Amino acid sequence: MFENIPILSLLILFPLVGAIAAFMMGRSPKAAKYAALAFSAIPLALSTLLLTEFSLTGGFQFVEKYQWISFLGISFHLGVDGVSITMVFLSTLLVFLAILFSWDVEERLHQYMGLMLVLEVGVLGVFLSLDYFVFYIFWEVVLIPMYFLIAIWGGVNRAYASIKFFIYTHVASLAMLLGIFALFFTTAPLLQADGLIPADAIGTFDMLLIADVAGGLGEMLQIAIFGALFFGFIVKMPVVPFHTWLPDAHVQAPTAGSVLLAGLLLKMGSYGIIRICLPTLPEAAVDFQLIMAVIGVVAIIYGALACLAQSDLKKMVAYSSISHMGIVMLGIATLTQLGIAAAVFQMFAHGLITAVLFMVCGMFQHKAGTREIPMLGGLAPKVPILSTVMMMGFMASLGLPGMVGFLAEFMVFTSTYDAWGVWVLVPIATVALTAAYYLWAMQRSIFGELTTKIDTKHLHDAYWFETVPLAVLLGLIILFGVWPAFMLDLITPSIPMVWPLSGVI
Amino acid sequence: MTFAEYAWLIPIFPLIAFVVVGFLGNRLFKNWEGGAPIAIGMTAISLVLSLAVAFEALTTGTGTPFIQSLEWIVVQGGEFAFTFNMGIYIDNLTALMLIVVSFVATLVVIYSLGYMHEEGEKKRRYYAVISLFISVMLGLVLASNFLQMFIFWELVGLCSYLLIGFWNTRPSAASAAKKAFLVTRIGDIMFMIGLFVLFVGFQGNLDFAYIFDNVDAFVGGNELLTFGTLMLFGGAVGKSAQFPLHDWLPDAMEGPTTVSALIHAATMVKAGVYLVARSYPVMVETPDTMLVIAFIGGFTAIFAATMALNNTNIKRVLAYSTISQLGYMFLALGAGGYIFAQQPEFNVGYAAGTFHLMNHAFFKALLFLSAGAVIHAVHTEDMRLMGGLSKKLKITSLVMLIGCLSIAGIPPFSGFWSKDLVLEAAFAGIEYNSLFILLYAFGLITAFMTAFYMFRLWFLTFSGEPRDKHAYEHAHEAPAVMWVPLALLAILAFGSGFAFLFGFESTLVPGLMDFHPHEAGPIDLLTAVFTNVLTYASIAAAVLGIGLAYMMYKKRAIDPARFTSGSVGKTLSNVLLARYGFTKGYDWIGLKVVYGTAKVVDFIDRRLIDGLINGISAGLIRSGNFLRRAQTGFVQSYAAVIVVGVSLIVILLFLVGGVI
Repeated sequence: MFENIPILSLLILFPLVGAIAAFMMGRSPKAAKYAALAFSAIPLALSTLLLTEFSLTGGFQFVEKYQWISFLGISFHLGVDGVSITMVFLSTLLVFLAILFSWDVEERLHQYMGLMLVLEVGVLGVFLSLDYFVFYIFWEVVLIPMYFLIAIWGGVNRAYASIKFFIYTHVASLAMLLGIFALFFTTAPLLQADGLIPADAIGTFDMLLIADVAGGLGEMLQIAIFGALFFGFIVKMPVVPFHTWLPDAHVQAPTAGSVLLAGLLLKMGSYGIIRICLPTLPEAAVDFQLIMAVIGVVAIIYGALACLAQSDLKKMVAYSSISHMGIVMLGIATLTQLGIAAAVFQMFAHGLITAVLFMVCGMFQHKAGTREIPMLGGLAPKVPILSTVMMMGFMASLGLPGMVGFLAEFMVFTSTYDAWGVWVLVPIATVALTAAYYLWAMQRSIFGELTTKIDTKHLHDAYWFETVPLAVLLGLIILFGVWPAFMLDLITPSIPMVWPLSGVI
Repeated sequence: MTFAEYAWLIPIFPLIAFVVVGFLGNRLFKNWEGGAPIAIGMTAISLVLSLAVAFEALTTGTGTPFIQSLEWIVVQGGEFAFTFNMGIYIDNLTALMLIVVSFVATLVVIYSLGYMHEEGEKKRRYYAVISLFISVMLGLVLASNFLQMFIFWELVGLCSYLLIGFWNTRPSAASAAKKAFLVTRIGDIMFMIGLFVLFVGFQGNLDFAYIFDNVDAFVGGNELLTFGTLMLFGGAVGKSAQFPLHDWLPDAMEGPTTVSALIHAATMVKAGVYLVARSYPVMVETPDTMLVIAFIGGFTAIFAATMALNNTNIKRVLAYSTISQLGYMFLALGAGGYIFAQQPEFNVGYAAGTFHLMNHAFFKALLFLSAGAVIHAVHTEDMRLMGGLSKKLKITSLVMLIGCLSIAGIPPFSGFWSKDLVLEAAFAGIEYNSLFILLYAFGLITAFMTAFYMFRLWFLTFSGEPRDKHAYEHAHEAPAVMWVPLALLAILAFGSGFAFLFGFESTLVPGLMDFHPHEAGPIDLLTAVFTNVLTYASIAAAVLGIGLAYMMYKKRAIDPARFTSGSVGKTLSNVLLARYGFTKGYDWIGLKVVYGTAKVVDFIDRRLIDGLINGISAGLIRSGNFLRRAQTGFVQSYAAVIVVGVSLIVILLFLVGGVI
């Protein structure tokens, strides 16, 4: 019934229109707020519709393909499979909730809302496009609004953080661009030989066509291209030692910015590996397997240890993202269907959970005036809702069963054991570390005796626009924790698509 | 119709209580004891259903378990097809646990009505979480596969965290809750690894029914299976507070006494014993694991008992006794399994472990709740400030005496029967491995110590002259909502041991595997027990312990100070009070090793990595001052840069492409 509606284009179009509208509402910023909420609600509705209409057989669905710059083989090619639909739903959800959570922003409100929607355009474009050129443009589009969100609405040290963010990810993008060019030029003769593109064409940027033939490239070439693309993606994830932009960016970014940065932007990196690196260059992936595993494990442990040392609640949560994205990397590194499916599920889980965590940090900043853990203490009786939400978020993040993070982690570790045996002891030991930093942070901030270092007389518990997004997120965290099959049934049939050559290993 | 078909409702009722009490707000329950009636009602319904299901299983049971399950996650295709189920698995062991858990839980919640009365608004949180605690423990008991069991296992951990830290404005409570969660999590990690071994070894099937029937289908050899079962037991070590992960349990006394009663008698720590008993069909395939279980159990039994000898906190003494008694259960299960591997007729160990689990649940719940009544009366946990309370707390002192006699192992109180059986199992092991000489000795000495410290506790609390007049004056007997549950538990603490004479062994064991039950009548069993020399050895140990306590704390014929004077006595006493340094050791690992490493990582992050990055960029900026000018702050100029950039790329592409 939706065959004739270009639903994916509409997904990108609505936030774009909304963004333009919001930018033009400088005279009545309040209206911009409502417009932004409405224009982010539509994509959320569309992606929910997509979830229900998506067929569980796997494969790319709702595909749209429009010729764009045909002499370069560039087309506006969109499609979703089980991996991207998960990310698309997450994106539309988080942007909508982040806009709602920003209800009390006053400074340059219309621009703020506009940028949030531009960000949504970029992120959705990345997750939907099946053309390298379009993919890259959207990838770069994402950078700009995030840069401004940090640079304008950020904290004291925002200039440093925003520039650091911009340079880091831009350098990474360049490496990725080199990889894309290399793919474009080297696959052209193979595509021509197979008759997939006309003999006089320069090449194509079509991801699926390139993936069909790139396995025929020489091994050294594959490794080189894989390396360039991979570097571009892991900086975004990020992994140690290319991660230091992340804590700075988070500490300075406004709350909604952090939510989207950790919830969506980090996922672009791991999504890129799953969408591009693995299916396109499977042999190189096998060569990189051990590197990926080591990178993942190092990120898991290093991130968790760094968390333990932080005194700023938000910085701790930022490092926890590094640790949890390390689990994604480890799942990918197993190169098994179970591991990759678990990695995607973990991306989804982390998106929901980390959004709660950053909102909690934002509320501490807002209400207590500080996020420094040593300044807090004993706040649970004063702000019961905030404390409850904090505890639920922390429990979800440390992988408590009944919440969405548990099964994802569990499946990653299961496939790690399957692949490397008792080496799983090394990453799984951090399960205790993770619990340690969260419980310790709670002990010092909401339990114990009431702090005298800050004014606690006028503490206000959560406002409605904070409670609603948090309730929605926690509801979904529990829903998908109790009923993970809903997401896994979407994701798993698509993993063979992403990874057609699992027989290679 | 069978009741078993509705068994899945058993954990649902308390869950409903959790949701209703937890989420419907303070206002609704303000004049309603914080929702206590709902918690009590729902737990009681669970109890009735549990009893029905258990009765049905124990009487009509054919030895084949009742299984019902739903597919939770199905992953098809390729090399990794597997199904995770959510279901229920009811055999006689499940039935036993259902009775124990729901019965003790119901009494604890009723008792809370009196004990927690003065907690004000916090009561609602208490009743919500305790309902959840009961619900997830019942879920754990009913689980039909290892993964499901692990899920509830973790949730049990969460609830104990919330309840141990119930008075969360007390720093010590928050700290104890954290410690309980973290230390048990070390065990959970091992449990998880055990799950991986089983999951891969049994090709993606973790159902009890499948694994128990197809133990031979394990892929990877017996060494790997031994590793797997050892890891499963590692989970039990954490949860059941066995050496060396025992140190969280004494700290867990920071929670309300009702919670301690629940944790020690029915939930949480019993989960570890249940795990081992439940996985027995797999565990017996790996005698080495069984030997480790027996050793850890036997060692923990005596190790924990020593720490109870000179402690003056009434709840801590009970906490150490729990650790010690759990050690007994593991000793019995381990010894039984070890012998079973060589002589598949031997079922005493299994029966002893599960039997002691049941009896301990009743007498330990009784002891804790009695201790609660004492604390309620005198508002202190320090036994040095008690004394002479039997005049004021007549009922409490009487029921606690029953509890003490039971745990000390005086016939015919329930503890006697199961403790005797535990020691019999350990003794039987000597024939197969001389290590059991040591373990039997541990067990016997523990019996002596247990009798001693329990009666030391009783005499210090109830006999002699009041040592704190003020507290004594204000002491009053507990209200009926508290002493009626105590009385019911006292009846069971006295009588549950008689189950032994009426076929406990033969009822419980066949549900598990192909044992040949003794078809012995009560008289035969009685004769067997009392014609055995070992029985008199354990009775003698208990009587000696009680006698020593009597001489020291009632007659005052032996001055207790004699043991703490002198350098050796003083040192020994301090070592015991310092818990052999384990508390400090845990703190040292946490603070110095882990936190120290974290600080190093933080230094690397700030100084090395960021230092390098900032150095490079500072150099670049000095040479070009490029970024400063580039950052104009206008959206348009950035957009322009991007547009120009993309255009350049396209042109470049075209040119290069043209060349090719």
